[in-house]
Amino acid sequence: MPDQAMLVAENVHRHFEGMRAVDGVSLEVPRGKITGLIGPNGAGKSTFLAVLAGTLPATSGRIEFQGVDITRAPAYRRARMGLVRTFQLPSEFSRLTVLENLLVAAPRNRGDSLWGALLGRRYWIEDEERLVAEARGLLARFGMTAKESEYAGTMSGGQKRLIEIMRALMLHPRCLLLDEPMSGVHPRVVGEIQRYLQALRADGLTILMVEHELHLVEELCDSVFVMAQGKLIGSGTMASLRRQREIVDAYLVG
Amino acid sequence: MSLYVAAFGFGLVSTSVIALAAVGFTMQFGITNMINLAYGEVMIASAYVAYYIDSAGLSIWLAMIGAALFGAVFSFPINRFIYAPFQRRGTALLGMVIVSLAVSLMISNLMLPIVGYFSVSYRERFSSLLRLGPLALTVNQIAIIFLALAVMLAIHALLRYTRLGKAMRATAANPTLARSCGIPTQRVIDVVWLITGALCGLAGVVAALDSDSFTIASGAGFLITALAAAVLGGAGQPYGAMLGAVVIGMVTELSAAAWSPDYKEVVAFAILVLVMVLRPQGLLAKRGALAAAG
Amino acid sequence: MNTYYAANLLIFAGVDIIACLALNLQFGVSGIVNFSFIIFQAAGAYAAAILSMPPDSNPDYSFQVYFGGYQLPFPLPWIGGAFAGALLSIPVGLVVLRRLRTDYQAIALLVTSIIANTVINNARPWLNGAAGLALVPQPLQDHVDTSADTYQYLYIGLTAVCVAIVWFVAARIVSSPFGRSLRAMRDHELAATALGKNPVALKTTMFIVGGAIAGLSGAVLVGFLQVWAPSTWLYPETIILFAAVIVGGRGNNVGAILGALLVPVGFEEVTRLLTRLNIGPPNLIPALEWVLIGLFILGFMWFRPEGVRPEPRRVYEGAPDA
Repeated sequence: MPDQAMLVAENVHRHFEGMRAVDGVSLEVPRGKITGLIGPNGAGKSTFLAVLAGTLPATSGRIEFQGVDITRAPAYRRARMGLVRTFQLPSEFSRLTVLENLLVAAPRNRGDSLWGALLGRRYWIEDEERLVAEARGLLARFGMTAKESEYAGTMSGGQKRLIEIMRALMLHPRCLLLDEPMSGVHPRVVGEIQRYLQALRADGLTILMVEHELHLVEELCDSVFVMAQGKLIGSGTMASLRRQREIVDAYLVG
Repeated sequence: MSLYVAAFGFGLVSTSVIALAAVGFTMQFGITNMINLAYGEVMIASAYVAYYIDSAGLSIWLAMIGAALFGAVFSFPINRFIYAPFQRRGTALLGMVIVSLAVSLMISNLMLPIVGYFSVSYRERFSSLLRLGPLALTVNQIAIIFLALAVMLAIHALLRYTRLGKAMRATAANPTLARSCGIPTQRVIDVVWLITGALCGLAGVVAALDSDSFTIASGAGFLITALAAAVLGGAGQPYGAMLGAVVIGMVTELSAAAWSPDYKEVVAFAILVLVMVLRPQGLLAKRGALAAAG
Repeated sequence: MNTYYAANLLIFAGVDIIACLALNLQFGVSGIVNFSFIIFQAAGAYAAAILSMPPDSNPDYSFQVYFGGYQLPFPLPWIGGAFAGALLSIPVGLVVLRRLRTDYQAIALLVTSIIANTVINNARPWLNGAAGLALVPQPLQDHVDTSADTYQYLYIGLTAVCVAIVWFVAARIVSSPFGRSLRAMRDHELAATALGKNPVALKTTMFIVGGAIAGLSGAVLVGFLQVWAPSTWLYPETIILFAAVIVGGRGNNVGAILGALLVPVGFEEVTRLLTRLNIGPPNLIPALEWVLIGLFILGFMWFRPEGVRPEPRRVYEGAPDA
């Protein structure tokens, strides 16, 4: 139903050096649901996510976020509008501490401009303290309180994943684009992230998630899009997709 | 009009000089992803070696061979013992620029006490002019053009028809894949640096021959011009470097005829900056030189 | 130790500190590889000069050819110097601050500084070409006797005030949330973008701030030297400053100051000392100094890339004990 769509992609293409990484994908990400994006390796899922987020420009096509055409908007503006992505490869700010990684993301900080900086601590300390408290809350939720003052670059792969998710959450996003958020994360923490995402969904957050672990997809996602070779080849619930021969074939694993 | 025809002739000479330098430079970039900013200093050092051989009364051809040998022997350890270790360590691209800048600083200043500040030149020879209408070039200059042509053909033959050439192209395109196909990539890299080092030495002598005189300070100009041709043609592409040399050689000489010879080098430098900013992948390259997308 | 020697040492130290603080803001904190840094110092020096000098029609100055000559009183030339540095940052930044391989960016900027130097060197009517500008008036020379020792102290004082101002600005920037965003952009620009940071705006801002500070350093220097020529601002000067920031420790202001004292100042003093001891032919010492700087750079890049004083790790109030 169109009025429930959070994020709309219309015939999006992404061609680069002769390769059609995304070859005319059209889909609608429903509001307030967790939607999966699955497909074999090289299907173009991450590239598509990047194009939605704006970190890669679309070669052609149209993208709408909450009814606003964002096709030409740069990534940082999309993030400020509430469309936030995480990355497949570790992308923590390695020479900042874990806490600082989260604080960077926070948008409403008066000290985050040249003039704010020059006006000095007294000008921005209130915002800062509020955000430190908020960040610490997140760290506690995800069990990383002890690591607050460690360099993010020294964290394990799973911990870096968590930092990325927490960072994205500091932005109070409307729609989260997650690129394999559970890969490398300790099983216990996977459960924690799952519960957190479900709680956020209950609060109205929309999530589009690229994920390889199909059992996770089944547990978490309300519906799923399937991509292969840059094209969208199916959508629906996992159960309905399993019945479609081409999907199963394309995917190689059931 | 005849001014421009003469400029065209000079353009041919410039192209030859630049091509010799640019091809070696771009091949070093292609095989090790290394912008070797010490290249200009090795050129100058080799030019000085040739100068000493020349001053001793020996044939200029001997001097060229000496310079090429020197260039090879000098360039090889720079990569093996300085650049490669830093790269293996994971030093970022910018870090490698700083490393090669440090190396170039060290080379030029080590040379200073040995060769001194004053400019030198090779003995006068072959300066009789050959004329073809308004085109007038010295035998020296014509020899340079033929030398460059011969070397370009040799490079072409090497790359296209020899096993080594194929191994070089494979290593440059994808070192891991090349290694898994059984190519001894380390040895290929070593050989490339020897060959390009020899080219560098030869280019140094030729460039010095083409100027009235040269000093240690000439190194920066040689480097940037070679860099300009290499980047213009597409970094790492030898044929691109040749094309780049043609463009830069011609444009600089024509601009010298049109405005003033003082700014000849500046024109080449400006082309480099413009290319880097507007079309960093160069004219021929298929692969982009843009920042790696995350 | 005579006053002139002390003044020389302290003022050069001050200028180098100001320059290193600026370069650290650009390179160490924001990750901008400004290999053309020296042209901003030069812009400030030239601007301060032509703002304070009388016009070249003046009989004492007619051996030089230059534009300007407004004979403005102190501190206007110094403010003009900072302004010139900031102004020059805009076109240079616009052209080069795009998503480019970092090494290409660095080289494009390096070559830009060489182009600028060559052009100014050859274009005589602008800034007197290769000969450069001489007889640059000194600040407050109409009010204080410049040959007296007290003037030296005054100049040292003025330099110190500038250092304090720059330090204040740099410290506030680095310790603020803004500084944190800059460091994030330095560490992973793409991730910073995905979190709502506008990299072009951030980089342009710091390019201009750094440019202004560099310009100020040029103004301070030219007022003391009273001469300024293209040979004063060749591209290796940028390399010395980079070496200083790398050796001292990038990303933090104390490291930048340390680097300024160790590299440009340290080497200057050692050179002076060794030259006075008359070791070897006259050109040997400066040449060896450069070789040493090269070795220093390589050594630090290999053994201690974070520098003598690394960027400190920030622990926030109320953090749990480790």
